[in-house]
Amino acid sequence: MRVRDLTISYGDEPILERASLDVREGQFVSLVGPSGSGKSSILRAVMGLLRPLGGLVEPGVDRSDIGILFQDDALLPWKTARENVALGLTFNGVERKRALEEADDWLDQLGLHGFGDRYPRRLSGGQRKRVALAQVLAIKPKLILMDEPFASLDAIVRARVVKDVVSLVERENISVLLVTHDLEEAISLSDSVYLLSQGPRARIIRHYPVPIPRPRDPVRARLHPAFAPLYEKLWADLSHEVERDQTAEAA
Amino acid sequence: MQATARYAWLRQLVAFALLLGLWEAAGRAGLLNPLYAPEPSRIAAALIQLFADGEIWTHLEATFTAALGGLVLGIVVGIALGIVAALVPLVAELLAPVMTLLNAIPRVVMAPLFVIWLGIGLASKVALSFILVAVMIFFTVFTGIQQVDKRLVERIVTLGGGRFELIRHVYLPSVAAWVLGSLKVAVGFAFTGAVVGEFVAASRGLGYLLSFAQSTYNASLMLALVLLIMVVVLAIFAAAGRLERHLLRWS
Repeated sequence: MRVRDLTISYGDEPILERASLDVREGQFVSLVGPSGSGKSSILRAVMGLLRPLGGLVEPGVDRSDIGILFQDDALLPWKTARENVALGLTFNGVERKRALEEADDWLDQLGLHGFGDRYPRRLSGGQRKRVALAQVLAIKPKLILMDEPFASLDAIVRARVVKDVVSLVERENISVLLVTHDLEEAISLSDSVYLLSQGPRARIIRHYPVPIPRPRDPVRARLHPAFAPLYEKLWADLSHEVERDQTAEAA
Repeated sequence: MQATARYAWLRQLVAFALLLGLWEAAGRAGLLNPLYAPEPSRIAAALIQLFADGEIWTHLEATFTAALGGLVLGIVVGIALGIVAALVPLVAELLAPVMTLLNAIPRVVMAPLFVIWLGIGLASKVALSFILVAVMIFFTVFTGIQQVDKRLVERIVTLGGGRFELIRHVYLPSVAAWVLGSLKVAVGFAFTGAVVGEFVAASRGLGYLLSFAQSTYNASLMLALVLLIMVVVLAIFAAAGRLERHLLRWS
């Protein structure tokens, strides 16, 4: 996926200006930055949910090969877990019975065996997130866009869901573009992290390759010697960016 | 001592029986004029008499036919107009003020008009029930569609669904949920329309019997009919409640 000089505006003033980034095949890339820097808008532009003011977005894959995982799981409340997972498959022409069987397979893989007939209301936050993940993985995407998908989960559930996500995207060689506020999450999951400046007129100000090898355990990745120096660098750059904005605002 | 909710029904029943007992005793002691406030035993006798000579069935049939006819027509037309108005701005522009006007007035005032237009037969009663139900359902659907969860819409789009899938998987289930949620109110409206219509001018129906009881100063018959209408509507409420619980079991 290639983004070049992307400019996004909701009014007169662009919130994001001339952003460029790359996600290569099988690569896990994160976008971090202060609130209002247009991180989520980049994802929406890639998905075609908003029209950019300028620049180039090349997803590099068919639209039907892109999966999206948002903070809200957005499952249809009137469909059971397996029916929710099967949705994307049936949209792509898979016969309903087969789609439901595949949905069951995905639910099994994500530790939700026996939960297929439950409605979302009767699932926990972590279980719903796994159903949403199964829904996305079932369409066999080549690229997944994630917008703070784990933010609503408590620490232990989050660690387990994140571990599943990493092992599945590594296994299926899926490219990922993740938007997150969490620097530790960004480094432990990604091959590459982009830092955005404060908006409006936010820009991508730095790019950090993450030299932690794959396959990767997201918890153990934090113990890798490269983790702490990279975290410090990112933290310093992000703090500098937020302080600079506060100084400008005070002036 | 605080009463537990557990035996609330028993206390309510005892209180109701006490009230009836007092009423009956006051009537027999000559404290109440039977012309205005006949004691419960007279009301019960009037009710039994209605069923004993079989006369009531033809009236029940007339009221049910009018109420259910108006209910079904009102729901179908209300849903259709609500959907069209929500999806086509021009229709909303033309229809919404009319519906707002109809909603603002007590619609039963149209009963005499329907008698002039449609005669004293079934049609004028169905029309009154219909107008009461259709306006309410229209607003339920019209405002409901505008408030459909946008995250669900985006989810369907990002999973590859088009307009047809959106209508089938998001809009129709949402509409069904709102309509079922208003079903009890709609049933009440439908019976109000039928009975008021019969009260104004008819040759059959519970409303006609009420009108007859009024003109003959028969308070026992009138109270027996009020009781009967209450039981009928409560029974339909219970059926509507069961249907709602079954169809909205996901919520």
